[in-house]
Order: sequence, then structure tokens, then C-alpha cells
Amino acid sequence: METQVSEDFGNEVYETLKYIIDPEVGINIVDLGLIYSVSLDGELLEIELTLTTPGCPMSGTIVNATEQILLKRFPNLDVKVNLVWSPPWSTEMITEEGMRQLEGK
Amino acid sequence: MSTATTSNSPGKWVVLPHYVFAALAFVALSILLLFSTDAFSGHYFHPKLLTLTHVAALGWATMLIFGALYQLLPVVLECKLYSEKLATIAFGFLGAGTILLAWCFWNFELGHVMHVAACSLVISFILFNINVIQTARLAPKWTIESDFIVTSAIWLLVTGIVGLVMVLNFTMAFLPVEHTHYLKLHAHIGMAGWFLLLIIGVGAKLIPMFLLAHAESFKKLNWSYNLINAGLVFFIFDHLFFHTALLPVYAGLVVGGVLLFMLFIYETSKTRQRHDVDLGMKQTFVALGLLVLPIVLVFIVSSKVALPQQLLSSVYLVYGISVFLGFISAIILGQTFKTLPFIVWMHAYEAYVGRFKTPLPKDLYNHTIQRWQNISYLLGFILLITGILLRNQQLILAGAIGFTITSLLYTANVFQLLMHKVQELKPFSYGNASV
Repeated sequence: METQVSEDFGNEVYETLKYIIDPEVGINIVDLGLIYSVSLDGELLEIELTLTTPGCPMSGTIVNATEQILLKRFPNLDVKVNLVWSPPWSTEMITEEGMRQLEGK
Repeated sequence: MSTATTSNSPGKWVVLPHYVFAALAFVALSILLLFSTDAFSGHYFHPKLLTLTHVAALGWATMLIFGALYQLLPVVLECKLYSEKLATIAFGFLGAGTILLAWCFWNFELGHVMHVAACSLVISFILFNINVIQTARLAPKWTIESDFIVTSAIWLLVTGIVGLVMVLNFTMAFLPVEHTHYLKLHAHIGMAGWFLLLIIGVGAKLIPMFLLAHAESFKKLNWSYNLINAGLVFFIFDHLFFHTALLPVYAGLVVGGVLLFMLFIYETSKTRQRHDVDLGMKQTFVALGLLVLPIVLVFIVSSKVALPQQLLSSVYLVYGISVFLGFISAIILGQTFKTLPFIVWMHAYEAYVGRFKTPLPKDLYNHTIQRWQNISYLLGFILLITGILLRNQQLILAGAIGFTITSLLYTANVFQLLMHKVQELKPFSYGNASV
């Protein structure tokens, strides 16, 4: 996870995004490794996000959810979510916490 | 990093009516089965059996596959569906054609109504083909899954045209040989060309996706595609023109293709990260296991095995049932609860995500009902085929009761999903994020 913002702010963003659960897998999008980067340019908070598969029918939903939750959490910032496919998501991007949940522990 | 587009999903009124029709057709199929126990002691060319087969193949399986495919095609091909209007019109023709055809077969009315029914179905298949082929053309890349899906749609149309020719032949009698000769052709193109290729094409994408697994190589899938199509084409030409004793070889090609697909799924599933397999996926694996039965039986029905005529008739019936009420029905029972909850959830909660805590798709239907649905299905299936092989009407009736219970449980869960109302949602309170 590449964070181009201060550690505290980055953590706050990631913690907020953990509220968004991938509806199929049942794990939040941070631990699923879908957030590629978080950056702040002035008042523009930019997120690069991917999905587990390019044709995912949830793409619009997850992008909207990410925008909505960040706008609500950081009302003074503008939010832009970029859906990206490069590098393609793989299961190696799942965090330890995500793996723990997938194994049902 | 390149920026991608957002959701390609079609509107819910394109997709959901297919699920409603299919669920009701499954109930109708089960009830008709209850009243057809006497039909299983004779030849497969029996009006009641023809009714059951067409309700299963068209009203239940093809209807649900059409609906699911309009939702899944954008997932598999990574682009929008070509036309929602064509899909809706195709639904109308498929629904009307199925009801009319079932009525005609049940009453053995082989005249104009049956002609209308067959024409409706062929029109529906033509519209479906246009939609699938044009959608595939919009896809950013052509994949092996595209090959499977587009080819299966073409085989569906061929199946429909052969069916239409047979329906016309009922009243005009222009075909050179007897009807059952073409029935075998019609049935095998439908089973291997339409259902098998379609299920493999979609399954090759969805099963790894649901298991969070990734395919290392698509070579086996490529060979699976080539073998199944080669087997089918050889079978058609031989059956129409040459009449050799090579049918088991062609069956072997198709079976080889199926085995390669199974091997692809097995190898891919070894890389899976998801270990909590839900009931929908368990039922999908049951369906794949049930494929063993038609794989074995296809060699018996395609060889000139010296079996008593009565037993051979039963084997033919079990072969057909193992495809329609076995493999295909089992996979639909499983995959409905992997697709429909998402479609309903997306339309109900899309506007609320990120602002309120929403339930998950798996929270929208009853898992206990789903468990009993799977149990009654398997029991019903085993009882039915045992009853047919032993020519025991009580066992056949018990199997039909099993299927009726299954269809009612399935329909109850499907309607619970379709009637879902958005609950009162609580907004997020930050600071205790958890899954």
C-alpha cells in the first residue's frame, strides 16, 4: 500500500475505508488489498482502487461507496476515486488480517 | 496506471423476470413430474416425457441461463450488454414459446399451435444470438470464455432450428428417416452444444472468481473447447450421413473435453485463497460430481451394447435425466444463490453504500431453506433415477416428491430475495471499523 500522505492521515483514510465490505468476499476492501494508493494534493484526496476481477459487477457500487464514505469522513476535502487495473489484483495483495478472515480464524 | 470504467450491469427488469419465470417453471416441472410417474416405464418419445424435458430445458434451464447471462456476460466479457431491449423481447418469445410447446406436448397437439411455439423459440434464440455476438464484439479482448459462450449460443440456435424442422415434420412428414433419429440429434446438440459449452464458459470464469483462485494456464480450456466441438460436429455428420459405429469415439471426444475442464477447475482451485465454501458453491461441486453419471452413460447409449430392451430404455431415460435434472438443475440451484442475491442487493443498496451500514447479499435469503433445498434435491434425484432403473413407480413418485419439495423451497427463497425491502439503515459511526 503506497501512501503519499502523512502516516496519521493515511491510517485514518485506511481505517475509514475498512467500513466498505466487498459484498461477495465479505472482507473489507483494505484487507482485500484493493486500495493501491492514497494521495493528498491540496484539498484533493485521491484514491487508486482496483477490484478482484475487471468485469466485477460491483465496480460502480464500490467506487461510489469509497467516494461517499470519504466525503462523509473528510467533509472539507474533495475526493476522487480512480478505478485502475494495473497492476492486476492478485491474492498476494490480501493482508495478513484478510487472510486470517478468509481462513475463518 | 490506467483508469477503468464503472459497472456494466443491465437494469433489473431485464434480468429478474427470467428468474421468476424459471422458478415457476421449476415448480410446474415438479408438479408435472408427480403426474407422470407412469410415463417412465415406456419409450422416451412419450408426450409426458417430452413435456417434462422441454419444460426443464427451456422454461427452467434456458430461461434462467438467459437471465443470468445478461448479468454475467458483462462480467465475463468486461463490457456492457449490447441491447437490453433485445433481451426483453427474447424473454417474451422464449416464455410464450415454452408455455405453448409444453401445452402442445402434454396434449399431443401437433398442429399450428406447436408451429407457433417452435417459431417463437427460434425467434427468441435468434435475438439472443444477436445480443451475445454483438456484446462479444464490444469486449475489449476476445478470450476462451468468449469462444465458449458465443459458440454455445450458435448451437442453441441450431438446436432450435432442428426442433422447428421436427415440429413441421409432424404435420408435413418430409424427413427421410424416423422422428427419433432427429430427436437424438436435437437432444445432443442442445445438451453438449448449448448447455455444456455455456456452463463451461461461464464456470471457467466464475468458479475461480468465487474461490479467489487464479488460472495458471488456459491450455486445458482451449483443448476442452476443441474436443467438445469436434465431437459434436463429427457426431452430427455421422448421424446424418454416414451411420458408422464410431459414435463412442465422438462421445469420447466430448467426454475428454469435459474432463479437461474438470482438470482446469481442479488445478485452479488449488490456488484458491477462499476456504469457507458456502452452500451455493457446495451445490456447484455436487453438480460437477453428478456429471460423472452422463459421462459414463453416454458410452452405453452411443454403443450397441447388448442389453435387454427394457433396461436400455431405462438407461436412455436416466441418461437424459442425469443431464437435465442432474447436472444442469444442480448447478442452477447452486449458482442462483451466487448471482441473484447480488443483483437484488445491488439494486436495493447501491445508493446507500458508503453512507449507511448495509446488509450483505448473503443476508438477503434463508440459508436453512437453501440447505434443505440441496438435501431434498439430492434425495429426489437419487430416488428418481433408482426408481426408473428398477421400474418402480413408488420410488419414482418419491423422487418426484423430493423434486417438488426442492422446487417449493427454491422458489420461496427466490421470492424472498425478489420481495426484499430496504431495511432502516444506520449511518456509520467511525472508530470501530470491523468486518
